[in-house]
Amino acid sequence: MSAAREMLCDTARAVFAEAATVGMAPIDNAGFGLLLVPEEQGGFGGDWGDVNAVLQISGVLVPGLPVAALIANASLQPAAAVSLMAGAMGHSLALSIEHVNTRQQFGRPLGKFQAVQQSLAVMACEVRAVEAAAAVLAARLDAVGLDPLAADFEIAAAKLRANRAVGVVTSVAHQVHGAIGFTREYDLSRVTIPLMRWRGEHGNDAYWAQILGRQVAGFGGRGLWEALTAR
Amino acid sequence: MQGFALYPFDPPGDIAALRAELRAWLAVNQPQGDIVARANCWASFDADFSRALGAAGYVGMTLPTRYGGGDRHPLERYVVIEELLAAGAPVGAHWIADRQTGPLILRYGSEEQRQRYLPGIAKGELFACIGLSEPGAGSDLAAVRTTARETAEGWRINGQKIWTTGAHFSHIMLALVRTEDGSERNAGLSQLLIDLDTPGITIRPIIDMAGHHDFNEVFFDDVLVPHGALVGTRGQGWQQVTAELGLERSGPERYLSSHALLAALIDAAGADPDPAVAALIGELTAELWTLRQLSMSTAAKLAAGEDPMVEASVVKELGNAFEQDMPRRVQAIVTSGWDDADDLARLLRALLIASPSFSLRGGTREVIRGIIARGLGLR
Repeated sequence: MSAAREMLCDTARAVFAEAATVGMAPIDNAGFGLLLVPEEQGGFGGDWGDVNAVLQISGVLVPGLPVAALIANASLQPAAAVSLMAGAMGHSLALSIEHVNTRQQFGRPLGKFQAVQQSLAVMACEVRAVEAAAAVLAARLDAVGLDPLAADFEIAAAKLRANRAVGVVTSVAHQVHGAIGFTREYDLSRVTIPLMRWRGEHGNDAYWAQILGRQVAGFGGRGLWEALTAR
Repeated sequence: MQGFALYPFDPPGDIAALRAELRAWLAVNQPQGDIVARANCWASFDADFSRALGAAGYVGMTLPTRYGGGDRHPLERYVVIEELLAAGAPVGAHWIADRQTGPLILRYGSEEQRQRYLPGIAKGELFACIGLSEPGAGSDLAAVRTTARETAEGWRINGQKIWTTGAHFSHIMLALVRTEDGSERNAGLSQLLIDLDTPGITIRPIIDMAGHHDFNEVFFDDVLVPHGALVGTRGQGWQQVTAELGLERSGPERYLSSHALLAALIDAAGADPDPAVAALIGELTAELWTLRQLSMSTAAKLAAGEDPMVEASVVKELGNAFEQDMPRRVQAIVTSGWDDADDLARLLRALLIASPSFSLRGGTREVIRGIIARGLGLR
């Protein structure tokens, strides 16, 4: 990650942490609405790689605040949702690892049990897949000047892949946490409930599967491979 | 385990031209036989095709030119093998030699071994098999019991390997054997490069559930190989094999085995597909796109000299699940009789039968998940 993006992320973590208690004002004041505005127009001059990084943080710290809508226009909201989801999934995984390495039952940490290890490995694969989808989508959007039509294939594939990961990620996270994860007090639901919500927003599985499936049917069997390798 | 960081897949040279040249070459040279051979095509053995592919410069691409290779970048080779797999080309005969035996000989082998074996590998004429599994050492590879005792004449090998893919047509085996008396587990192991026409070696077929002869039992009865058969450092076999497995787990063969079925499904669906079929095509495409990106990023990380053991395992786990589930998901929605003769039905049947092996070969699903769990900081 570039030094500029590291700084941006540090700022985002500090500002979003404050916003978690007081609402949007600190985010507005810090100028996150100008993230994609070119520098010559008084903005930050960021790219979608920056947006992806910032939204992954907001998906963890302020999932209920309209940060994505502040930064990007309506046509880019499905792409923004992928970043929010990648962030929330990464945090779900981190909470789960911490919990199973700490919580002891039968005289040892839960993470020593193969059944728990195998479940978390499955979850981690899904999380890595969504993080990769968000990163590749960002690279595509930046390569086509944030034109959602030129990135239609990647937006559909990434949002669909993220949606399909939600079931495994939320269920494994809650399963390994046991009852504590089901309490209002504990942090896990602050990322899993938004994940359940985002799966249905900006296109659920059926919506994107139809769009992508019909697009690919138009490519034909060999054409799919040619399209994948040409982009 | 850190969050995923995308490694840019940025091979040198004109990659679009490389793809176009290879596609044009395949249009002329790919055997137009049974379409079923295009499924799981890295288990389709065709020595003539391998030789032609070698002559065209698409085998041993990353080996130095002084050993007959192409001196190409690993990511150029990646592009070539993903094209070959997506086209369903019968790459099985030279697959192991090209993917891992050649690179391993280059890395750990003696100058004599390099000169003796690498040119044949790069020509697509010298085929190799992997001698790891034994009757008592499957997932538990450290339980290897085949021994090689050093004598004045060379190494005396006794024991048995099993599930050895391609031993019946291979010229050499790179075997993991116990060279140190009384050693246990992963200590005291070494790698030997064994010419399979050496006296005392018996190869017996094991027919798989699809009726194919892919794997074998290989018996060693007081087999004598020269001192120069040792590859790398005596006693370091475990470390060398572990490095070899990294080359084996993250490639495009881990998610493209069923690609011919996806292409056939799309072609059968037509331009205006039934909604249920369109939805499945969409879901499979989203998974394929993501997997390809994960695999390319991991390949780029490998090419940069890093050791992405965990990422490679993620690619294998997700890729195997994808290529294994695909036939089941297709069968669930298409109307297709088991004995139907159309392409889609025949590919479907062949892959339903072949797919249980996808999460076994190259490390079982359970072993791979264990590696990922260790990477997460569990255990």
